[in-house]
Amino acid sequence: MIKPLIVAKWEFLEKVKSKAFIISLFLTPIIIILFSFLPTMMIKSEDEVTKAIGILDLTKEYFEEIRLNLENQKLSNNIPAFLVENLFNNNLSVDSLLIIADSKVLNDKLEGYLYLTKSDNDSLKVSYRSKSIGTFELISSLEKILNDVFLKKQFSKVGIDINLINLLNNKIEITPIKIKKPGEESEGGFLTTFFSSLVFIILLMMMVIYSGQMLVRSLLEEKSNRLIEILVSSCSANDLLLGKILGLSLLGIFQIFVWIIIGLSLVGTSIVNYSSFENIPLILFYFILGYLFYSSIFVGIGSIVTTEQEAQQITSYLSLILVLPVVFILSVMQNPESLIIKIFSYIPFTLPSIMILKINVSEISLIEHIVAILIILSSTILTIFISSKIFRIGILSFGKMPNLQELRNWLKE
Amino acid sequence: MLEVKNLTKCYGNIKAIENVSFVSSPGKIFGLLGPNGAGKSTTIKSIINIIKPNSGEILFNGEKINYNFLNKIGYLPEERGLYKKSKVYDVITYLAELKGLDRNQLKKNANYWFEKLKIKDLKDRKIEELSKGNQQKIQFICSLIHNPDLLILDEPFSGFDPINQQEIKNLILEFVESGKIIILSTHQMDTAEKLCSDILLLNKGKSIICGSLKDIKQKFGGLHIRINMIENTDLLNSFFEIISYEVFNNFIELHLMDNVIPSEFLKKLIEKVPINHFSIIEPTLEKIFIDTIKGQTIK
Repeated sequence: MIKPLIVAKWEFLEKVKSKAFIISLFLTPIIIILFSFLPTMMIKSEDEVTKAIGILDLTKEYFEEIRLNLENQKLSNNIPAFLVENLFNNNLSVDSLLIIADSKVLNDKLEGYLYLTKSDNDSLKVSYRSKSIGTFELISSLEKILNDVFLKKQFSKVGIDINLINLLNNKIEITPIKIKKPGEESEGGFLTTFFSSLVFIILLMMMVIYSGQMLVRSLLEEKSNRLIEILVSSCSANDLLLGKILGLSLLGIFQIFVWIIIGLSLVGTSIVNYSSFENIPLILFYFILGYLFYSSIFVGIGSIVTTEQEAQQITSYLSLILVLPVVFILSVMQNPESLIIKIFSYIPFTLPSIMILKINVSEISLIEHIVAILIILSSTILTIFISSKIFRIGILSFGKMPNLQELRNWLKE
Repeated sequence: MLEVKNLTKCYGNIKAIENVSFVSSPGKIFGLLGPNGAGKSTTIKSIINIIKPNSGEILFNGEKINYNFLNKIGYLPEERGLYKKSKVYDVITYLAELKGLDRNQLKKNANYWFEKLKIKDLKDRKIEELSKGNQQKIQFICSLIHNPDLLILDEPFSGFDPINQQEIKNLILEFVESGKIIILSTHQMDTAEKLCSDILLLNKGKSIICGSLKDIKQKFGGLHIRINMIENTDLLNSFFEIISYEVFNNFIELHLMDNVIPSEFLKKLIEKVPINHFSIIEPTLEKIFIDTIKGQTIK
């Protein structure tokens, strides 16, 4: 077997067998699932409970209508979405009615209540009083019902046909559909696209950071106990560098393989949508290219560190660059063709993540793919070349990290 | 045969070694000696292709050393350590495969060395679970499992207890007898004296003495005798033949002028001082080294 392959085999097998790797292999997808799907699942599950809503209608005109409409709302399991309580009482003053209603909310007897009054110009004024004001979904559905009720009431007052009102109320909702080829389409919700892209970028980030750290650590171990001297007296520094990058890439591919199996086993459940796997081959391609690019940087940098602290500092700086694309997720999704995104999709550091995002959001032309692949491949080759120059000397220098001037001299050698 | 010719290596403006040359032949242990910072490591690293010398050349069996030469070298660095979390046999396999050893031969060789060093039961243990001495043994095995033609040992005995030191010493002697070249780098002169037939003394990057141990002792040693006397040692100052003397607990060592005939000096000595022991001794390598360096400094 040629020497880089022997090094690669060792790097792969030793790391795959380590406890830390096995734990991270299974922990990472769990963490990602928790981070990206739990919030949505929680919002949904919150809605699956009947809510007690009070109505304090000082106009005495709308209570019945609103109550009927609210009680007609059903949850997915066919139980009523709302339980309505009339808070109005003719014998009490407005102030004491409000006090009673407020205390019911504060004592958790009610989720909240609608407070309807007439303003000076005889128009309806509605507020929703509750302990929390962050309940967007609830408020928007209440708004819809109130608008409905209010319109019908006003129109019937002036004698407009009730059927006409129903007709008017028939609003249009837009379903977003992504065209792939003429006649071929996929229905992608914002959330699905957002999360499936996010998952891949976070995976790439975590994998690069984790394996990068592992690589830097092992190099540090080899340097500190001079094993590195035995290694370079057995093969060339380039063999070693190539072997380490290869081994690390193998480790990465193995990791993705396991994660895809985990992902596929979750397809069809509420956690993973099948559409997340549609673009997998292309995404994986960019994923591996990005991983290779970052690995070759880590190998070069890892060779110059001399202490654990330096290793941590350097890996955390690199990780920051990796996090950058996450900041752009929203803007890429809203406008994948914008100039800034175009620029970032040509910079090798952000290219893989941006391309992974774009694949999910818009159709990318073949030329764009070719340009992107050429950029990432050539920059990977360039980094391997630079890294090998640094690596050759870096692995054999102990004591202190080189300064920029020294690094420049190394590159010239 | 390993030939090192006019090797020079600079780090910036500092010359780590300057014009170092020597020849090491099969079946002999070559001692690379000198204090810390003398240039021993730089010389070794040039031979094993870790660093590129600025000038000079290294020939192995008449050919310039190249990539393929790496498989013929075994190297035991001074600072020891192996992959702590890995298993003994896995580490040996990895390092041996890098030296081009195939699996079958590896198995045979590994078993041979495990038996020889009586550590067969450690095969499947993790390195970190072994005692320091056993870890050293594993590293020793790693350096010669591929049956190298040239074995370079940097302070091979540090970290071993006296019993293990003896065991390793015997193994080294056995190995060199099979026609291999061994370069032993050390600052322990007594070790070198016991094992090496040829030596190179380095100081501050420069070659001070080089050649066979016998010749060196004859050439640089001078005449040394050991006596045992009860009287006051001040009496010795009256002899013009004595260049210097050193008083130890049980005896005194005298360094005499080269033209002195020992038997005549003994007669002269007995007349003045009662002595109960007189012997001619060989100077130690350490003494030669110290005297030479002192001589250079005075010059």
